[in-house]
Amino acid sequence: MPKRMCVLTALLLVLAVSASAFANWTGTITIWDCPRWGNEEDDKFHWIKGKIAEFEASHPGVKIELVETPWAELGEKLSVAIAGRAWPDIVPVDISGAINRNHLEQGVVEALDDYMTPEELEDFFPGALEAYTYKGKLYGIPMSMSVHVMLLNLDHFAEAGVEPPENGRWTWDEFVEKAKALTFDSDGDGVIDKYGFSTYILPGYYEAWPFFYMDGAQPIVNDEFGFNTPEAISAIQKLVDLKFVHGAAPVEMGSSDVGGTFRALAREGERFVAIQPWNSWAIATVTGEGVNHMPNVMVAEYPIGESGRPITIGGAGGWVVMYQKDRSKLDVVVEFAKFLSTTEEQYTFALNYGTFPSRKSTEAMDPFADQPLMARAAEMLEYAVTVPEHPNWAQIDARIQAELQLIFAGEKSVEQGMNDAAAQVQRLLR
Amino acid sequence: MLKRIWKARSGYLFILPKFVFFTVFVLVPIIWSFFVSFQEYRIFGTEWVGLRNFRDALQDDLFWMAVSNTLRYAVVVTPCSVAIALILASLIHPLRPGAQTFFRAAFYLPTVASSVVISMVWRWIFQTRYGLANYFLSLVGIEPINWLHSSAWALRSVIIMAVLTPPGVGVILYLAAMGSIPESLYEAARIDGANRLMQWWKITVPLVKPTTLYLLIVSTIGSFQVFDQVMMMTQGGPGYATTTIVHRIYNVAFRDFEFGYAGAMSMLLFAAVIVLALIQSKLVSSDAEYKG
Repeated sequence: MPKRMCVLTALLLVLAVSASAFANWTGTITIWDCPRWGNEEDDKFHWIKGKIAEFEASHPGVKIELVETPWAELGEKLSVAIAGRAWPDIVPVDISGAINRNHLEQGVVEALDDYMTPEELEDFFPGALEAYTYKGKLYGIPMSMSVHVMLLNLDHFAEAGVEPPENGRWTWDEFVEKAKALTFDSDGDGVIDKYGFSTYILPGYYEAWPFFYMDGAQPIVNDEFGFNTPEAISAIQKLVDLKFVHGAAPVEMGSSDVGGTFRALAREGERFVAIQPWNSWAIATVTGEGVNHMPNVMVAEYPIGESGRPITIGGAGGWVVMYQKDRSKLDVVVEFAKFLSTTEEQYTFALNYGTFPSRKSTEAMDPFADQPLMARAAEMLEYAVTVPEHPNWAQIDARIQAELQLIFAGEKSVEQGMNDAAAQVQRLLR
Repeated sequence: MLKRIWKARSGYLFILPKFVFFTVFVLVPIIWSFFVSFQEYRIFGTEWVGLRNFRDALQDDLFWMAVSNTLRYAVVVTPCSVAIALILASLIHPLRPGAQTFFRAAFYLPTVASSVVISMVWRWIFQTRYGLANYFLSLVGIEPINWLHSSAWALRSVIIMAVLTPPGVGVILYLAAMGSIPESLYEAARIDGANRLMQWWKITVPLVKPTTLYLLIVSTIGSFQVFDQVMMMTQGGPGYATTTIVHRIYNVAFRDFEFGYAGAMSMLLFAAVIVLALIQSKLVSSDAEYKG
């Protein structure tokens, strides 16, 4: 055998051994997951445990450690983990909160473009991919989509003798008229105890925001603050007037009390508000069993303003793969993340967990054939916009929401509040 | 030196576990914060920026708003909690031993409960529609107050909660201090015709001054570090009405991921607390300590 042939053969052997070594990586993968839906034993982690068992069985030597994490603690826990460089391998977050654009730029999250074929990408809805894309790179595998919707307590409507909006669509004026009619004194003691509408204002939460987009405004336009434009001021003023001029919202509207707001709509014995905007996950909660079960509930669009469209805010959930020093481990970690977000798994989620699939193939399986509220909410994805993509978004958002809190507490005019926000935000936009 | 340590090894062994915990969870993070405050901290690799973080902190209007809120909180809560502890201890001290034990436990046990749990209970008390506070106000014909969601009342609500939470540690320390005051001093005062209030003012209060000084310093430090109550009850709002220094530091570190900047603010807080503690120590320190 000539010498050159020997060298070539040796090289090929080395490559083959290396390749098989990569494919056969063994070790421990850590995944954080949060409560999903319960099984007979009310184990809300049964789905992920089942998937882990399946994956471990088909990948001898790979052990997957599950860290059960409450949703409420996920962001904070992940922030601390990132600060301490002790992150898990996979985590169910989007890329706007605990993981933000600065982290993406610093390489804390793995870009997954090389792991997705064009055919695979084609199966995802563009909005879902967009939610995990930053500067042209894909930083996660979308598992689900969500949208903000209006939940209507039809018992409250019936008690007030008010007709709900036809097919859940209404203009701003119709919405105001109904909200006013839904505000009344139910027990005759001379004090109003039922209200048409309420919502809350808190950094990182966007239930109220589609109202501010209603007349065509956006928070950031061409790197300039956009919520102090005439379109934004008029839209915010309309919602402020609903509380202070029309009296159709309780004093708590615009506070930061998330739990109290939800109880006012859904909790048995505490209901006193007819209409509230919530993320679509709430549909599963109010239609499921328990103290928050609403016997007669309807899903409606946000009111249509000057923009002519029932604009709402959408989002996506999925799996993010954190930075891996060991590149051979990365292959297995990504494989597991993809294993969790197949067409079939998304169908299971849609049926049991109240999320919209991010895959077209799952949508084609018609998961909401027996869930009319989810089916109606899914139609609203068409009008969904996402919150702006900016490295400083968390800080910008906190400043805008702080000013909105003061506006809805009646302590600042809309113009003053948004101009104050502009002065703070403009520095962060530069 | 080593010989001396070896001779007293049993003592050192006793304090070793506490010292290890202190080093790992307090000393090292403080030193780390100090160094980080001169850097732009990044997950992979940091950049030395000198005093820039300190300059930014001093020019940050939100930081000054947080300082103002913290000062308003501390100015009310610190003296009130110490005074309430002194009054409660003075009322408990003359009681029979059995009753004393009961009240000691009654006032100390709530301090064992997590401040998060206590804050959640107070959040319910201050709830606008169904809360106990507004219910009591309605009994005397006062309109409901939007306690936690108006700028005028939010900080006051947090202060009310802090003042009305029993100062269990203070009560215990004062009771211990009062127990060491010789009865003969009170007997002499009684012979001289002093009534109970005069005895309390002229004997008890001066002789528990070292405890008062200690509690003032500890309470000031605690007030400057107020965080969990704010986080649970108002999240710093509405607007920035209840944003305190530590809440601002937390947001800058764990929401904005600017650890260098947060470190600089922590160092400024550290320096302010030390200066305040020294001033308090100078103002309140006394030679009236009973050494008998």
